Order: sequence, then structure tokens, then C-alpha cells
Amino acid sequence: MVVLAASVLSKSGKVLVSRQFVDMTRIRIEGLLAAFPKLVGTGKQHTYVETENVRYVYQPIEALYLLLVTNKQSNILEDLETLRLLSKLVPEYCYSLDEDGICKTAFELIFAFDEVICLGHKENVTVAQVKQYCEMESHEEKLHKLVLQSKINETKDVMKRKASEIDKSKIDKNRGDKGGFMSMGSGRIETSFNDMSISSSGSGFGSGSGLGVTSDVDSFSTKPKGRQPSSATAPPKGLGMQLGKSQKTNQFLESLKAEGELIVEDVQPRAGQSRVVAPAATDPVTLTAEEKLNVTLKRDGGISSFDVQGTLSLQILNQEDAHIQVQIETGGNPGILFKTHPNMSKELFSNENILGLKDPNRPFPTGPAGDAAGVGLLKWRMQGADESMVPLTINCWPSVSGNETYVSIEYEASSMFDLRNVVISVPLPALREAPNVNQVDGEWRFDSRNSVLEWSIVLIDDSNRSGSMEFVVPPADSSAFFPISVRFSATSLYSDLKVVNIIPLKGGGAPPKFSQRTNLITENYEVV
Amino acid sequence: MEKSCTLLIHFDKGSPAIANEIKEALEGNDVPAKIDAMKKAIMLLLNGETLPQLFITIVRYVLPSEDHTVQKLLLLYLEIIEKTDAKGKVLPEMILICQNLRNNLIHPNEYIRGVTLRFLCRLNETEIIEPLIPSVLQNLEHRHLFIRRNAILAVMSIYKLPQGDQLLVDAPEMIEKALSTEQDPSAKRNAFLMLFTCAQDRAINYLLTHVDRVSEWGELLQMVVLELIRKVCRTNRGEKSKYIKIIISLLNAQSTAVIYECAGTLVSLSSAPTAIKAAANTYCQLLVSQSDNNVKLIVLDRLNELKSSHIDIMVDLIMDVLRALSSPNHDIQRKTLDIVLELITPRNINEVVLLLKKEVVKTQTGELEKNGEYRQMLIQAIHSCAIKFPEVASTVVHLLMDFLGDTNVASAIDVVVFVREIIETNPKLRVSIITRLLDTFYQIRAARVCSCALWIIGEYCLSLSEVESAITTIKQCLGDLPFYSVSEEGEATDASNKTPQANSVTVSSRRPAVLADGTYATQSAVSETAFSPLTIVQGSLASGNLRSLLLSGDFFLGAVVSCTLAKLVLRLEEVQPSKVEVNKATTQALLIMVSILQLGQSHVLPHPIDNDSCERIVLCMRLLCNTGDEIRKIWLQSCRQSFVKMLSEKLLRETEELKAKAQVSHAQPDDLIDFYHLKSRKGMSQLELEDEVQDDLKHATGEFVKDADDVNKLNRILQLTGFSDPVYAEAYVTVHHYDIVLDVTVINRTKETLQNLCLELATMGDLKLVERPQNYTLAPESSKQIKANIKVSSTETGVIFGNIVYEASNVLERTVVVLNDIHIDIMDYISPAVCTDTAFRTMWAEFEWENKVAINTVIQDEKEFLNHIIKSINMKCLTAQSALDGECGFLAANLYAKSAFGEDALVNLSVEKQADGKLSGYIRIRSKTQGIALSLGDKITLKQKGGK
Repeated sequence: MVVLAASVLSKSGKVLVSRQFVDMTRIRIEGLLAAFPKLVGTGKQHTYVETENVRYVYQPIEALYLLLVTNKQSNILEDLETLRLLSKLVPEYCYSLDEDGICKTAFELIFAFDEVICLGHKENVTVAQVKQYCEMESHEEKLHKLVLQSKINETKDVMKRKASEIDKSKIDKNRGDKGGFMSMGSGRIETSFNDMSISSSGSGFGSGSGLGVTSDVDSFSTKPKGRQPSSATAPPKGLGMQLGKSQKTNQFLESLKAEGELIVEDVQPRAGQSRVVAPAATDPVTLTAEEKLNVTLKRDGGISSFDVQGTLSLQILNQEDAHIQVQIETGGNPGILFKTHPNMSKELFSNENILGLKDPNRPFPTGPAGDAAGVGLLKWRMQGADESMVPLTINCWPSVSGNETYVSIEYEASSMFDLRNVVISVPLPALREAPNVNQVDGEWRFDSRNSVLEWSIVLIDDSNRSGSMEFVVPPADSSAFFPISVRFSATSLYSDLKVVNIIPLKGGGAPPKFSQRTNLITENYEVV
Repeated sequence: MEKSCTLLIHFDKGSPAIANEIKEALEGNDVPAKIDAMKKAIMLLLNGETLPQLFITIVRYVLPSEDHTVQKLLLLYLEIIEKTDAKGKVLPEMILICQNLRNNLIHPNEYIRGVTLRFLCRLNETEIIEPLIPSVLQNLEHRHLFIRRNAILAVMSIYKLPQGDQLLVDAPEMIEKALSTEQDPSAKRNAFLMLFTCAQDRAINYLLTHVDRVSEWGELLQMVVLELIRKVCRTNRGEKSKYIKIIISLLNAQSTAVIYECAGTLVSLSSAPTAIKAAANTYCQLLVSQSDNNVKLIVLDRLNELKSSHIDIMVDLIMDVLRALSSPNHDIQRKTLDIVLELITPRNINEVVLLLKKEVVKTQTGELEKNGEYRQMLIQAIHSCAIKFPEVASTVVHLLMDFLGDTNVASAIDVVVFVREIIETNPKLRVSIITRLLDTFYQIRAARVCSCALWIIGEYCLSLSEVESAITTIKQCLGDLPFYSVSEEGEATDASNKTPQANSVTVSSRRPAVLADGTYATQSAVSETAFSPLTIVQGSLASGNLRSLLLSGDFFLGAVVSCTLAKLVLRLEEVQPSKVEVNKATTQALLIMVSILQLGQSHVLPHPIDNDSCERIVLCMRLLCNTGDEIRKIWLQSCRQSFVKMLSEKLLRETEELKAKAQVSHAQPDDLIDFYHLKSRKGMSQLELEDEVQDDLKHATGEFVKDADDVNKLNRILQLTGFSDPVYAEAYVTVHHYDIVLDVTVINRTKETLQNLCLELATMGDLKLVERPQNYTLAPESSKQIKANIKVSSTETGVIFGNIVYEASNVLERTVVVLNDIHIDIMDYISPAVCTDTAFRTMWAEFEWENKVAINTVIQDEKEFLNHIIKSINMKCLTAQSALDGECGFLAANLYAKSAFGEDALVNLSVEKQADGKLSGYIRIRSKTQGIALSLGDKITLKQKGGK
């Protein structure tokens, strides 16, 4: 029951493509294929030829022969089935059924043949499946890429924070020692780090794998030791190539760290570490409403752009819970335009504010707890230039006085939101040491590598709707302190979108438990 | 062991890709360009280039690519590159690809993982695979079935590697676990297959614990189950009983493929009548239910095998097999009839013949195009039935005689030959046959059928009334004499009738024909193809069939008519008491003969009568005028006797052939006898327990290494260079089926190191070099074995020539040593074969190429010359030995052979002994292609002079 080879030949006997599924020498397969045109007679009403050793089962397609070479014990019924499938596949991949057409799509044909026959055994596939397999569109990969991207962003945050911490401690420690090589090679290593983390799935030989974001990737070191006694004694060769945690590199890293370099040594993905990514869902149904703020404020007041983008995403853990509809309630803000996912029933939404699939028989896609993104149901967007909508305004006044520049910054938060984890980053002119902070509401730290002063306030609520900070730096042009970028998050939304209920479509039982998250975050919030 | 080849792609040499261009494109960022360059690189590799510099480029620039197509092409590239060095060690740089493979194995895209796992199935290098094993194992539990399927296969192939069981000690355990939880049918199949090949006990265990559910399993899995059962039972006959039940349950499976496989398994497991019967029944069902011709033919093959091993059971199923006759395909019908004919017993003969008769009748009414051919087959089948069981002849002969007037000449001839044989062997039927024949004689249209029927009439009309009615019938069929009308107007109409007819005659009669004994005859008689509608119209007129045939210029028939009349008159003399009546008949016969002669010599017909026929008719006339006992005896008795002799000889030949066939299957006296039960299976390698299925696969992949006959090898050694050349080379040529392997030994005879030594070969004829030559360095006075593969695609004498090129350290230029030519002998591809006389004739007529070689030899004896030619060109003499007996000064014989590529080679030898004792004549070679005719001709010219 073995197919030795699947081939396409021209009527004149030229071998156009041939894929072998068992080990055989080139001379052998070429010999077999060369003998075939002589053996196939004309005017016969059957399409197989047997020789002493092999059986050819073929099918003429226009100016071509599609040919299977099998052993003689092979099951003809199965082989014919395979041949039929292949003959349907060939026109799918070749735009013209002649020599040129086959030659041009030879590789695609080989890939398709591979999906149909595995090690000489027929696979249970259909034409549609083969096409799907060959297209290689993977939902998981897309998810993975999204996750990866968000992790990279997050890592950058961590990087910045750590850098400032290190700076701080360094300043504390080495007050006297005015570091001579503070900025040595810093830029380069950082960029290379970034590059590597982005491409860690593709490349990552050597140093990359040591440093890169390894997500759910297992590495050589995670190999279970007890399983292979042989490999335990002889460590895999790949290990040697890895820029791992050898003594020397450790020292190098330590010294880099001491110099204010940011080294993220351990970036094992942990759920707790991520702020951008929602924690893993434990409820059977999770709905996440998220709004992203893109705001640009002018330094002397006024808004140059204001944009809110929101999404509502749904995540379902179990297949059983997937037949549902979601009843929502919106704040009625007329400036917000809602758009549903193309698969959602628009009518249902506009009439009853219910989100449900067009085809009520289809379930929502489900995913395990690990995937953060879920399925997007609804998008909305708000644009405007009304200053009253801005949640947080920043006022920055640099003033030169003699040999120094005094900078006083003031924030004012609107009462709409309680802002959390507010970080106001003020770029500073190149400094050798931290600026003198005279007064601050909240905390500050200085990132010497990027020369950014970060002013952070854990929570802005009614108790501190406004606050200020003042620091002194050597004389500098006032434009050096811009653009100031701001990060914060909040739990209430512009749209006031709420999920009221979940309506199960099947079974009629109690609606599955659901949890709702709302999250307002800044994507790009700056004062220019 | 030669490298295996996993893919072939037609390479268009018109657009050669340059390595540099490929490199540039690979280094760039443009994905389509990269894909294109990868494809080109793979094509170049397939075409024999090695492109070693490309590897690093690919590692640096292609490995990191995110594009899926690039990754897949990369896997293909890795599949075909040379991964080991000359000593079989893995190249160190291969470790560079490991990381990439590992990344692919944990890639988020399930298809990338899948194809990478599939690639691992084709990988043989343990060093590369070892670090990847944990990742492979992880994939076993992936939730996507595409990955699981391939992961299981990858585990299987890794486990099957030479040290695979150490790499993956607990693989069977893992797979067994996977199998128990697996839901996907394909993955399940793969898992079971893995257990089957790697841990048979576990597979059996699994099967036996799930015995009740086997019939619910997927088709794919059921197939493997059957395979497993076959294998287990072959090695361990005793356990058969456990499995028979499973097979029986599977016989009712949904899938026809499974049913077919079941039947095959049953046959291989058991020879119990019930089992065989069940299998045969299944085959018969498939035969009827499957509409595909291929399936029918192969199922018939299986039935044929069953027939040879279990004839007693098959006999009962004869009627089921016969149902296959309903297919309109002639190949199927023929095969069915072949099988059935051997199953006929006295018990079922009547039933079979009844059905065959029904089928014959059906062909009369049906409108189908090729009914004639089918009818011919049926008639032949009935014929052989009647020979085996003469008692049925009486029931069929009359039915068949209806077909004497058939428009299909071949089937009519078959009928008449059949009648001729029956009338001799069944004397009881003589009277009824003769009456019937005389009644239907006027319907016969074809000249050849007519002449045969006339012979029967002449030979077997014995009683007075028969003889008289025979003479009247012939006279009626000839119509009124003379043949061409005396009246002027009649001649005018005749002439107008004749003109178009004459054309058709000339077309067909120009051809020389080969007689049965191989001699050439210029046949002036119209062959059956000349049967234009015009003659048929004429034949249906009152004038009678014989007349129209004669008027179309068939004088050979005229001679037959004359002989028959002469014979009938001679017989009449014996049975007719009245002298007057005899004389009357004699004169009438003479008149007819004279009229025929007259017609022959007149200007009415475009051809005058040929000499042979003329002489024969004149002889008949002389005989009638001047009878004698001697002549009477010859005409009335010897003729019949020689016919009887011919029949008996034919019978003898058939039985001899049968005996010879039976002989073949017997073992040689010095053959090894294998006592299965005495075989110790302990410590025996798989190789020795090899069964026929694996043998079959090995045959198919060409893995079987024939035991090279050393003596033979030495005979084939060819010296390629002289002893005084700086490089001495000799080769031995091994000719396989489709390829030639040159093993060249090159010896450096100088005291210097020869660098870049290269064996450059070129070919002439239908030969093709498979690989490009490689460069070698040869130390002083050392030798090297170089292997060159050459592909042969048709039977033709080919020449391989070439030279050895090398550089010596002190000479700057390359030195060239030209090699002696190697001639590839056509004889290696030709093997004697047998074909029927008619097949030989049709091929002889069809084939376009004829090579005529004049005989020029020192051999004096014709027979000896024939034997010499047969021996030297390795062909089979089709002409029966009896026909070659006797000394008459000339000899004609047909020889036939088939090439390894299925081409036919026909040879006709016509020799005459000259007065001076020398042989003269021609040898004609005909073939479909020029190559064979030319090469064989050359061979014959070369050999015939050789004499002894």
C-alpha cells in the first residue's frame, strides 16, 4: 500500500515534476519514468500499466500524464482515489495544463502532493483542505505576533523604568565617581536588543536566544533531563553556540549594569508583569472594553489633535459557552460612532443594542486563557477638539535665570476620570547628572540614558486634581523640554459602554458567568 | 548506498541561472525575489550543480525569513543538499540549520510546524535530529491535528533510524498513549502505523483490546490493521485464528478499498475453502460493482491468481466471474474469458456454453461498434470449449455457422476454422454440418472464408446427394457462364462497374504478404481489406458471391473453386453409378475452369491471372480429363490425412506447451528447501524474515542488489587507455534494466600527484549521463574507483566516449588522455519473446522501419545458418520446428524478440541454397523505431560473417 512517486509527465514523455515518497535512487526513478511512455499504449480503456516490479496508475490531463508509481501489491482502489484527488489538485495550482504551466508551478504542485501522500500513505484530505494547508494562514500565528508586539512594548516600558531605578541607585552610590563612560555604546546595544526581540522567532542564533523575548518558546535548557539518557551525557551541540550565561558574559553584564546600561536579563513572560495585556481570564466569558487615547496638546494651550479609539472584545474559554449574544449599553455620547465586526448582525445591534453573529448557529471563536486578545466585536471612535474633553493638561514653564533654567510644570486633571499610574516624561537637555528637583507632588526619577525626567503620580483623583513640580537644570533652550509625553490609565471610558447581560442562544439555561473589564489607556499623549 | 532522490523537476536549460544572481536575490529583502532565487537554486541542485558557496548565504539570509513559502522552499533545499561528506559524516556546518529547524518546530504557525516535522521524516542524519527531539515530542500533544499527524510520522522515522531506538527510547510508549487519546482518523492511522513498524507487540495489543470496534474505525486505520494482520500471521502462523474474525467483520466495511484488501488478506492467511470462497466472492462482487476498468482488470488478475492456486473453489464461481463479460471493454472480456476457459469442467460446461451463446446472440443485435471483435473472442472461446469437450460442439456449431457470412472477416474465419476442426473430430456431426454449410454458403462474403469453406465441401461431401448438391451450390454461386458478358452492352456496364473497383484492388494487392512459413508471396488475391461496399452489393445480387469475388480479380479463389470441383467430380465418380451423370458433371466442371481461365486472360480485369493459379487450374483440368488411381488417392485421401496430421500436431504442441508450463513451476533439483517450521526465528534479522510484501516494495524501489556474477564481471572489463599512458583506466560495464553503470578504475602511473583529475564522458545514441563528473586528486601510483551512471531510454546501440583530464603540479596546462570508446550492446536489452502468428503479421505490416541485410556467409547449411543467427541475436524462432524439417534447398523463418522497454523486434530470414552450395537471400528486420532496426542490422552483418 505504498505510493512510490507522484509525477507529472508530458505526453512526449518528458518528466516535468516528480515527488518521491520512499527512498529510491535518482537513476531508478528516472528509469521508471522514462519507461512509462513506452509502456502506455493507445486505445486502451484502462489506465494502469504493470511491469515486472511496479505498477503505474495514470490519468491523462490534456497534454499531460498524471502518474502514480506504486508497488504491485498496492491497493488499486485506494490508488485510484489518490489519483483522482491529485487530478483535481493539479488544475487548482496550474493556470494552464501544459508543460509551461506545470514547470512554473512545479513547487506548488510538490507542496500539494506532499499534503496528499505522507511517506507513501494516502492522507485523508479533500481539495479544500489541501489548499488550506498550502496557504498556511494561521490564526494562532497572528495572535502570536500581536502578543509578541505587545510584549515588546511592555518590555520597553520595563526597560525605561529599570533604567531610571538603576540611575537613581547609581547616583546614590557613586556620587563621587563621576562615571567616565556613562554613555558608552549604550545606543547601539539598546537598538540591537530591540531588533532582536522583534525577530526572535525567526533568527536568534547565538546571542539572540539568550536575550530575546522567548515567549512560550522552550529552549534547550528546558529539555527534560530524565527522558533521554543519551542526550544527557552528550549535550546537544547547539548549546555551545548560545551566548548564554557563561561567567564572562555575566561579568560583562554586571559591569554594563553598573554603568547604567539597561539589561533585561530575565524576560520570561509572566502574567503579572504585563499591564497592557489583561490578566488571564478565569471566567468562562470575558468582555474587555478598551479605549486608546491619541492626544496632542499644544504647549501654549489648545488641542492640536484628539482621538479616542475603542474596542470591545470577547473571549470565551469553552466551546459550550460560545453560542451567546451580548447585550450592551452605551453612554449615548453622540460624538461616538460604533462599528460592528462584519460577522455581526448590524440590525440586531442598531435596534436592540445586542451583539450577535449574523448566523445564529455559528458559535463565537473560543480560545484558552493564555491568549489575551480575544475576538473583537465592536469598534468605536471619537474625535473632537473640545478642550473640556482632555483628561489631563500639562503646563510647562521653563524660565532662564542667570546660569540656570528653572522649569516648573503643572498638571490639571479633568474631573471625568480618576487617572492611575500617571507618568509625565519631560525630555531634558543632555545632562551629566540628575537635575535638582526643588519641589514635586508625587515622585520623580531621572533616566540618564535617554535624559528624560519622569514625574510619576500613582493616582489622580479628587484629592489632587492639580499638582506641580519644579526643577533646575543648566541653561537650555525652552524647546528642549518638549515634547512632553504622558502615560496613564483609567477604568472609566469616554463611551460609557457597559455590558448589561449575556444572552445564551442554546440550551436556554442560565447565562454563563461573565466578567467585564474596562480600560482607558494612552497610546500617544504628548504636549508639543 | 546511493543517495535517494526525493524530487525531480524539469529544468529548462534555456535560461540558466547564475549562482551570483541567486546569491544577490537571496541577500535582498524582496520576498518574491527570494522565493524565485530559492526555486532556481533548487533547480540547479537537482541538475547536478553543487553550489557549495550558497549554503552560507542561505543560512544567513534565508533562514531568518518570516515568509512561509521561503521556509517551505528552504526545507526542500535542505532535503536535497548533500549533508554528509565523503565518509558519511555529517558536515559541521549542518549544525547551523538546527536552530532554524527547532524554531520552526515551535513556530506559532501550525503549518510551518507540520511541514518541518514532515521534513524530519526524510532526514537521515542523527546528528541533526538529536537536538530537535524534545521539540518534536512536544508537538505530539499539540491541539492542531495537522501537527499531530506529522509529529507521529516524524517520531516513527526517527525511531526507524539506525540508532533511533536509543534516541527515542520510550517512543512506542508515547505513541501508544497518543493513540489511545487520538480522535483524528489520519493521526490515528499514523500512530498505529508507527506501532506496527516499531513495536509490533503494542500494535497487536491495541488491536486485540479494541477488537469489537475495528469495524467502526476509519478506512485508513483498517487498512493498516489488515497489513498488520498479514505480517503477524506470516511470522507466526499459529495466531491466525485470532484475526480471522476481524477480517470477516471488515469484509462488510463501507470502503471498497478495505474490502479488497480484506480479500487479499484472507487469501494470504488461509487456504481453507470457506476463506478462499469468501475472498473470491468478494472479488466477484467488486468485479460487478466497480465501474472502473482498472479495478476490474486488477481484480481479474487476483482471481486469476486464485484460480491457479485454488482451482477447485474457483470452479464453483465460474458463473459469477462470467458476469464481468457485461463490461464493454475488450481487455476485460478477454481476461474474463481466459480465466473462465481454464475453469471449465464437465459439470459446468453446458451452463457456460449457454451463456456464451447468449452473449454471441447479443452481439448480433447490439449496435455497439466493436461487437465484431467481441464476437471473435466469444467464438474462439466456444471453439476451445468444444475442443475440450467435444460433446458441446453439436450445440454450438450450428449457431456459429450463422456467422459465416459475418462482415467481420476475422470472426468469420475463426468460425470456419472451427467448423473445419469439428467436422474432422466429430464425425457424427459431419452430415448436419455439410447440409448447413451448403445452405448458407451463398452468404459467405470473404474470399478467405470462401476458400476454407470450399475446402470443407470438397473434403467432406461423401454421399451422392451431398456431392451433387455441393456441385449445384457452387454452380449457383458462380452464376451463369461465361463470366464476362458476350453482349456489348453488358461489357459496357461491367466496365463502368469495374473502374472504381479496380482502384481498390490495386491499392491492396500491391503489398507483398508473408505466408505462414515466412516466405514472401506477391499476393494478387484481394485481401479482406479490399472488400469495398461495391463487391458486397454485387455479392448480394443474384449472381452469387463466388462470381463477384472472381470478378474482383481473386484468381486464387478461382483455383480453389477448380480444385474443389475436381475433388467433387472425383468423388462423384465413386458414388454415382451412372456414368452419364459423371461425365455431365465433369464437363460442367471443365467449363467452369475454362471460364475462369478465360476471364483471367481477358482484358476485362485490370490484372491477368497469376501463374500459380493458372497452373493449378490447368492441373485440375488435366486431372479431370485424365484420371488415375494414383492421383485419385492423392486427391481424395492424402489431402485429408495431412489435415489430420496437422490437427494432431497442433494438439501435441499444445500439450507440450502445457507440460512445459507445468515444468517451470517445479523446483530445480539443487534448490534449497526451506522448512518453515524448522526455521529458528531467534537471532534472525528482519532481512531473513523478509516477506513477499517487502520484497515487492524493494523490487519497486530497485533496492534489490543482484548478486553480481564475478565471472561475468571479468568478461565485461574494457580497457580504456593504453598501458603506457600516464593514467591507466579500465571499466567494467554493468547493464541493468534502464541504466548502465560504469565502474572505472583509474590508476596513476606517474610519480606525481595528479590534481583535478576528471573523467569526462559523452554519449551517442539514446544514452544520458545522470551525474556531472567530479574532480579527484590522485596520489602517485594510487588508484581510484569512479562510478558513472548512464541512463538508457531505448534499445539502440550506443557509444560512450570520453577522456580523462588532469593537472600535474609541474605542467600548467591540463593534460588530456582520450579513452577507448565503449559500445553498449543492443543484445543486453533484447530478450526472446513469443507472439502469435497473426500478431506477428499485423506488426510486420504496421512497422515502418525495415532493414534488409543480404546474406553473406561461409555457412553452407541453411539450418545451421538459422541457428547461428538465432544464437547471435538472441531471438526466438516463431516458425515451428516441423516446418523447418527436411532438405529442400531453401528456408524461411520468423524470429521475434522484445526489448526491455517493450519494443518489438521482428526478423524474417529467407535463405536459398545456390547451386554452388553457397547460401543467398535476405534477412529483413522490422521495428517501430529506427534504432532497433539499424542496430540489429549492424549486429547481424557483423555476426553472419563470423561463421562459427
